[in-house]
Amino acid sequence: MPEIRVTPLGAGQDVGRSCILVSIAGKNVMLDCGMHMGFSDDRRFPDFSYITRSGRLTDFLDCVIISHFHLDHCGALPYFSEMVGYDGPIYMTQPTQAICPILLEDYRKIAVDKKGEANFFTSQMIKDCMKKVVAVHLHQTVQVDDELEIKAYYAGHVLGAAMFQIKVGSESVVYTGDYNMTPDRHLGAAWIDKCRPNLLITESTYATTIRDSKRCRERDFLKKVHETVERGGKVLIPVFALGRAQELCILLETFWERMDLKAPIYFSTGLTEKANHYYKLFIPWTNQKIRKTFVQRNMFEFKHIKAFDRAFADSPGPMVVFATPGMLHAGQSLQIFRKWAGNEKNMVIMPGYCVQGTVGHKILSGQRKLEMEGRQVLEVKMQVEYMSFSAHADAKGIMQLVGQAEPENVLLVHGEAKKMEFLKQKIEQEFRVSCYMPANGETVTLPTSPSIPVGISLGLLKREMAQGLLPDAKKPRLLHGTLIMKDSNFRLVSSEQALKELGLAEHQLRFTCRVHLHDTRKEQETAVRVYSHLKSVLKDHCVQHLPDGSVTVESILIQAAAHSEDPGTKVLLVSWTYQDEELGSYLTSLLKKGLPQAS
Amino acid sequence: MDPECSRLLPALCAVLADPRQPVADDTCLEKLLDWFTAVTEAGSSLLLLQENPCLVELLFHVLKSQDLSSRILSFSLRLAGIFAAQENCFQYLQQGELLPMLFGEVGPLGGAAWTAPAVRSGWIQGLRTLAQHPSALHFLAACGAVDTIFSLQGDPSLFVASAAGQLLVHILDLAMRGPAEGRRSLQACDWPACAQKIVGHIEDSLCSTAIPQVTQALSVLTTAFGHCHGLWTQGLWVRLSPLVARLLEKDPVPASHSLVDLLLSVARSAPSSDRGLWETLAQTLSHLSPTQAGPLALGILKLQDCPQVLRTQAFGILLQPLACVLEAAAQAPGPPGLLEGAAGDSMTVDTLLSSKSACVGLLCCALAHLGLLQPLPQRPSPWPQAPLLGAAVTILRLCSGSAAPTSDVGGRLCAILVGCGRVQRAALDFLGALSQGTGPQELVTQVFSVLLEYLVSPESSSMVLKKAFQATLRWLLSSPKTPGCCDLDPHTQLFLTELLPVLQKRLCSPCWEVRDSGLEFLTQMTRHWGGQAGFRQALLASEVPELTKQLLRDPESYVRASAVTATGQLSSWGLCASPECPGAQQESLLVELLHILSTDSEGFPRRAVMQVFTEWLRDGHADVAEDAERFVAGVLQAASRDLDWEVRAQGLELALVFLEQLLGQRGSHCPYAEALPETAPPGVLAQALQVLCRVQLFEFAFRALFDCDRPVAQKSCDLLLFLRAKAAPCGGPQEAGDSPNVASVEATLQRWQAGEQGQPLGYLEPGAVVALLRSVDLEGLRDTLAESSDHVEKSPQSLLQDMLAAVGVLGENEADCY
Repeated sequence: MPEIRVTPLGAGQDVGRSCILVSIAGKNVMLDCGMHMGFSDDRRFPDFSYITRSGRLTDFLDCVIISHFHLDHCGALPYFSEMVGYDGPIYMTQPTQAICPILLEDYRKIAVDKKGEANFFTSQMIKDCMKKVVAVHLHQTVQVDDELEIKAYYAGHVLGAAMFQIKVGSESVVYTGDYNMTPDRHLGAAWIDKCRPNLLITESTYATTIRDSKRCRERDFLKKVHETVERGGKVLIPVFALGRAQELCILLETFWERMDLKAPIYFSTGLTEKANHYYKLFIPWTNQKIRKTFVQRNMFEFKHIKAFDRAFADSPGPMVVFATPGMLHAGQSLQIFRKWAGNEKNMVIMPGYCVQGTVGHKILSGQRKLEMEGRQVLEVKMQVEYMSFSAHADAKGIMQLVGQAEPENVLLVHGEAKKMEFLKQKIEQEFRVSCYMPANGETVTLPTSPSIPVGISLGLLKREMAQGLLPDAKKPRLLHGTLIMKDSNFRLVSSEQALKELGLAEHQLRFTCRVHLHDTRKEQETAVRVYSHLKSVLKDHCVQHLPDGSVTVESILIQAAAHSEDPGTKVLLVSWTYQDEELGSYLTSLLKKGLPQAS
Repeated sequence: MDPECSRLLPALCAVLADPRQPVADDTCLEKLLDWFTAVTEAGSSLLLLQENPCLVELLFHVLKSQDLSSRILSFSLRLAGIFAAQENCFQYLQQGELLPMLFGEVGPLGGAAWTAPAVRSGWIQGLRTLAQHPSALHFLAACGAVDTIFSLQGDPSLFVASAAGQLLVHILDLAMRGPAEGRRSLQACDWPACAQKIVGHIEDSLCSTAIPQVTQALSVLTTAFGHCHGLWTQGLWVRLSPLVARLLEKDPVPASHSLVDLLLSVARSAPSSDRGLWETLAQTLSHLSPTQAGPLALGILKLQDCPQVLRTQAFGILLQPLACVLEAAAQAPGPPGLLEGAAGDSMTVDTLLSSKSACVGLLCCALAHLGLLQPLPQRPSPWPQAPLLGAAVTILRLCSGSAAPTSDVGGRLCAILVGCGRVQRAALDFLGALSQGTGPQELVTQVFSVLLEYLVSPESSSMVLKKAFQATLRWLLSSPKTPGCCDLDPHTQLFLTELLPVLQKRLCSPCWEVRDSGLEFLTQMTRHWGGQAGFRQALLASEVPELTKQLLRDPESYVRASAVTATGQLSSWGLCASPECPGAQQESLLVELLHILSTDSEGFPRRAVMQVFTEWLRDGHADVAEDAERFVAGVLQAASRDLDWEVRAQGLELALVFLEQLLGQRGSHCPYAEALPETAPPGVLAQALQVLCRVQLFEFAFRALFDCDRPVAQKSCDLLLFLRAKAAPCGGPQEAGDSPNVASVEATLQRWQAGEQGQPLGYLEPGAVVALLRSVDLEGLRDTLAESSDHVEKSPQSLLQDMLAAVGVLGENEADCY
């Protein structure tokens, strides 16, 4: 039975690390290979032993597809390809390929910086892993092998984010990765055509939320930054090198320009320069407004935003600083935070999620006295703000995408169980399709009925055409022939041709059946009665009474014989070829009803 | 337990027991369990529960609560398991009937919560932790847990099913170990009831017609033979081997993959005299399809003691696909193939021709298995190096379309393999592995020719090219030297003249991966052959050095970094310059690299420059040695401003090399050398300190000492400690300890430590440096730095505080992610 099997190793009823295994028509694909930033041991990576037990990884997996550059979608990739030993192709879009190594390096630095993480992937491993990547363009169909093909669609979530359609023959699965159905300042909205996949695997981060307009959040953000700067305070915005940093930079740059503000805005790290460089390179991936503006001037050539030097942190007066890392757990952002935390005029704005254990997590949960190294206690007097700018589709957006793609089934990942449950019901009600939400390690199996192309011989077609009926796509017709399966090809030919091609001799196969009739007359008279009856019923057929006493209707032969034990009963022997199977069955059932009384 | 944690615990338990309070972060509960595991491993669980009654209360509360989340329920089951692992604590919990309520029929097992895989997983993990003592065994039997575990083996969750299998093995091992183990006979009839029950279940499963059940039984046995080493495992095999052998009578053999795993697991643990086992292995090899038999054959060949007949059979299985290819591609009856008399086994040929995926799969497996076997000491002997080389070359030619087989099978193979990247990659890897052995010159020539064909071919993908470069490098480096001559042999020399134009072309590839692989290849080749006249001549006659230099300005940072490393290597061997005016070229390279260090917007090239410079300084590169002081000063100045911590860390590495050159090695021969380096003689020292001050090494090192990136600070601390031991041994005279210069520098350092690094240190006198080295608490700093940068945040106290603080402030952040 052909089927599609999906097993999440990560992102099954959680938002930790995405890693989903899909088997489709005998091909195995891994969708995303993320890591969990909340763990610093093996648990941060998906448990790949469930794949390695099926044999060598490269033999088992046909390809790995990465939807976008966020670490919860690609963070385990160098580990998987260079340490666990996957040596096959990895597919992602070009911006993702360019940006992935930056974030992986960033992450490596944090991991190496921490104690006991010597057994970690190196820079060389990241590069070697990136060399295995095959970059794909949007809407380009990429042939992984003779049977498996993939196609990328715009997902909007971050630069280069893509949804992927995976197709083998007539079976297909779409994986959305993370996506956003509403355009924002630098990215457009996700889009997919009506591809009617057998299965749509969609993220469901905001499964139950209808998010307010991002404009409100942006206004709020600008207001808070402005107020702080106006009263002479400093604003720290911890960010990861890529993504949100750029979004917020455009926001501030425009605002500064409009309000003619003079307070300096700084980027604290060299990584951001590289990030901007890439954003410039991939202008075609950003939204229409930026693309249009780009003709006049490059929106990423910031006038007000300058590179940060460590010495600036001590300068008096207001300023805004973007610093990495984004969760305030090490490096420059933490150093600046320590310096500015004691002043109530200052503000730290956390524009994203922070895992437990980080200073970011602590201050967001309201802790104001933080123990630092050496038993020092840092009192946080500065204002702490949280602003979510994460760009995921909300419940409405998810429904919209399901409507766009028209899948036969939906499978939810990358969300919380309770919320998924709600969305699942909604999808099932509204679209009348089955919706699944497997936990990590659970396999969902969907039977499929693949359509297999069959070539028909010209001879057979001509013969059918000769019968006078023109082919009509809306009216299916029955066609008899012999199906030959050879060299992975299917052909329908006439039985004569098949015999000839295969060098086989023809055998006649006849079906026989005995029908008992109550009739006291002699066998010959019974045969005559049968003949008369059939002649009257089967007007369109050729019914004959042969000299030996038997009756024929086309290829069907009927002979009457006496019953060995009961002289009042006659036995009719009915036999027919397989070509007259229908008529044979009909005749048998007719005779079983008995003959009409002689008038 | 830390008193502060003890104080926070009741509040935390209350939060956990409250269904209205969602847990802040999905990692918190895991970390909490880690902490409880550590606490109970270090001390008495019973005491822990008695001192913190809130823990038992939490477990009771969980049982009563109806609407608790599955995560908390799962957590509680695992927590109870951790406590009950100690027998006295187990008894304590039993007194309250807590364990049957948690793990028995009345607990979550019978409720709606059981539908959540997290709860089933928690139940298994709890029992797995708990099952450490005889009382636990009685408990498992009494509460009927074993039957539930049997059913969980078929759980829809892979994780739960796998954990169930492992738990069964653990219970079996626990039951069979114990004081009576030595006296227990190999006859299973006098085994403990619990063990008998499990073994009986395995027997039933092995006889089942349902393949999943057979697979479960086989994987349980695999785990048992892999992890348990008691005598009882022998008895188990005696009892079960007939049932396992019976599986081989079925066609097709059910759960073949699991069967292979089991047989290998048994073979690794069984004594080598077990004839029955060897027979089963031989039988299995002959019953399985070529694809299924490959892993078993490899496993057999890796075994230490194994009958020669079986090894020959196994090796035959691995060679079979290659033998078929060789035979199919042979133009005419040639020398004996891989398998005399048996070449072209019909089943293997059928598999190879049945479909493209089967053919590719079988060939890739065979190539990978043979590649893994090649370097092992226990690989079969004699090793058919020549036919294997021939097979690898043939496969590569079939894939590239350059082979023209005349046979029907050969033609069909060619149609299947042509352009197949997967087989190309596998064959190139294998060919590279074969470079460890020798071969007849004619074949080696063919190897180089096919490698060149791949390097030239426009059809080769970037990954195939990378592997072709790697294989070429391995073959080049293993090529024999002409006896009595230190130069390259004529064949290699000839090959080089053909290879370099190809490399040249590849360095101009539009694909960055290819340019990068070419540069990496060049670097390696130069590293090994930089001194060989033939190589030097060929290289200098080509445009490769010039192109490499041009790639210093490549748009892709990875390529720029590789170009930096390659030019650095070429320059070390004097291969960058044209012979007419060496000085000018070298000078410009140094300047160019310094320019990259100070201006390149990306980290990789800058890091590469630092590595090249460090190597140059260490090896006494002519241009560096000319004015090492100016060189070091320039490099440190650029590195100190760098935003990339690895560049700064590499700067310290360079500083250390410089220090060692001035003051003497750290003495790697002695393990205590770092702690007790020899003091430098006073005259040398004074001079050296002057130099160090002039190159501003101290400013660089002290700034790095307070770097926000811990590895940089750590490295600097080590460097300064080394310097102090060399320059200012304890008890020495306080040269300039009270001078005003020192006081102001100390004040600056304090500000730096506080994070204000704007102010420069200014020029330092050697005396002041020595005084500073004494006054700064370097040991204290080293200890602080040795701790992880997040060690405070990682502490259990921090975890508890975070979990408590998160109560009520969730909301918008809750569903957020990246």
